[in-house]
Amino acid sequence: MDTDKTTAVVDIFDEFRKDIDEHNDRRERLIKASRDVTNISKKVIFLLHRIMTERGNDTRDPFKHAAERGRNGLREAQVLYAQMKHEIQGDEFWRYHRAVSPGLQEYIEALSFAHYLEHGTLVTYAQVQDTLSDDSGVPYLPLPKEDYLLGLSDLTGELMRFAISGIARKGGRTKATEVCAFVRQCKSDFERFTPVVRELSKKQSVTTQSLEKIEDAVYAIVVRSSEYDLPPEAVDDIVAQSISSFGTGSGVDRSKRGRRDPGSGDEYEGEY
Amino acid sequence: MDPQDLDRLNELLEQDVEIREKIKEQVAELDKKTRNMAGVLNRIHSTPTESSQVTWLSCRFIRLIRLPIVPVLIDSVRPILQSCQDTSAAMAALIPLNQFWRFKEMWSSSLRTAVYSAAFVEYLSSGKLISLPDVAKILGKEEWKDRFSLAVEDYLHGLISLVNELSRLAVNAVTLGNFEEPIRISIFVKELFAGFTMLNLKNDTLRRRFDSLKYDIKKIEEVVYDLSLRKLAAPKKEQVDSKE
Repeated sequence: MDTDKTTAVVDIFDEFRKDIDEHNDRRERLIKASRDVTNISKKVIFLLHRIMTERGNDTRDPFKHAAERGRNGLREAQVLYAQMKHEIQGDEFWRYHRAVSPGLQEYIEALSFAHYLEHGTLVTYAQVQDTLSDDSGVPYLPLPKEDYLLGLSDLTGELMRFAISGIARKGGRTKATEVCAFVRQCKSDFERFTPVVRELSKKQSVTTQSLEKIEDAVYAIVVRSSEYDLPPEAVDDIVAQSISSFGTGSGVDRSKRGRRDPGSGDEYEGEY
Repeated sequence: MDPQDLDRLNELLEQDVEIREKIKEQVAELDKKTRNMAGVLNRIHSTPTESSQVTWLSCRFIRLIRLPIVPVLIDSVRPILQSCQDTSAAMAALIPLNQFWRFKEMWSSSLRTAVYSAAFVEYLSSGKLISLPDVAKILGKEEWKDRFSLAVEDYLHGLISLVNELSRLAVNAVTLGNFEEPIRISIFVKELFAGFTMLNLKNDTLRRRFDSLKYDIKKIEEVVYDLSLRKLAAPKKEQVDSKE
């Protein structure tokens, strides 16, 4: 009888082992895929910044062009989600939510950046879910509202970089003022969600910091251009100086810092 | 953001908060029950297996306070254990379809105590290991599967708690004059431990708790050693074999 019982326990645990191994393997696969999504999204964000700072003699509408290339880049991530789909069916999605959440947020950040450049608005929840669905509209995964909001919250940091690094170029000052107003709106819109979405309050304070940086830069524009009656090129120089202290890749075109893409430094210089 | 979208989003998020609040109430209910059971089961350390032992013991105060014997104690736990199904039912009704894992963490720890109680009751009454489907049957119903189920992880956590408790019982059984119990415990726990060693555990709490099992085993071994050395318990030959 004792031997019977032993086999029983061993058999039971053999099942558990399969179960646990399967769970761990799946989690590992999803974490890997999610990390790939994060990488793709980061690259897209850098690409968008690059296009916006590099537009030299390109006659195309830079915003449309950037958004298009960004969306193309993100298609790679969508393919990954399509592949993940069968691993996160139904309740399984919530079981592995923590594994996929960081990638999702980064993806939303990249997507919303591209969307903002083209439309000047926040990408809606439905629009994001739409990009994460197959051709017949069946979602690969149920997009959590929390991840949507947290991804959007990260967008403000990118907008700060975008506004400040673009400030010294033609139209950059108007754009910076626009971005400033937009980020301010985001900040106040998100505020009401802080009690219900954990982590959002932390991101809100980052947003506040970004907003302050933009505000200071916008202030610099206003002060400099009002005090002196200078031609725009001279104002560019002054502004570039005042914002270089932000250390955010500002004035990248002048100082050859090329923080975003060291490899492109050379072709970059040629343009200016 | 569009004000309409903003409101819609907020509404949805608040619904989630509401569900969470309601589940929390049920978890508190379940928690009450599991604490109660754990409390009753804790008295096992001063409960003789049968009344004859009470008379065997010279210890006068045990007779004086008229301790219940183990079967009585188990019977007092059973109804509480059964009533856990009510809270499970209430939770299953609250959890949206396919979102079990989303909220699961909220009641994991209470559920593990419930598993432990069920496993302890089973051990005390039959000396056997309760299977996962059997615990699941006690705590919930098959048809709630996609809303409320018992995860392997929680079952295993419950079993580790059982081993922790059994190592204490091995010591206290001797104090109560029951010299066979530690031997039984030793065999039972070793089998269980062998099962656990088959698992590839990640570096999580289950793994850490599994690592602590060796101390329980050591403790039980020492009791068995003390008993054999003094010839207080004569383990049957087959038991010795299966132990090796």
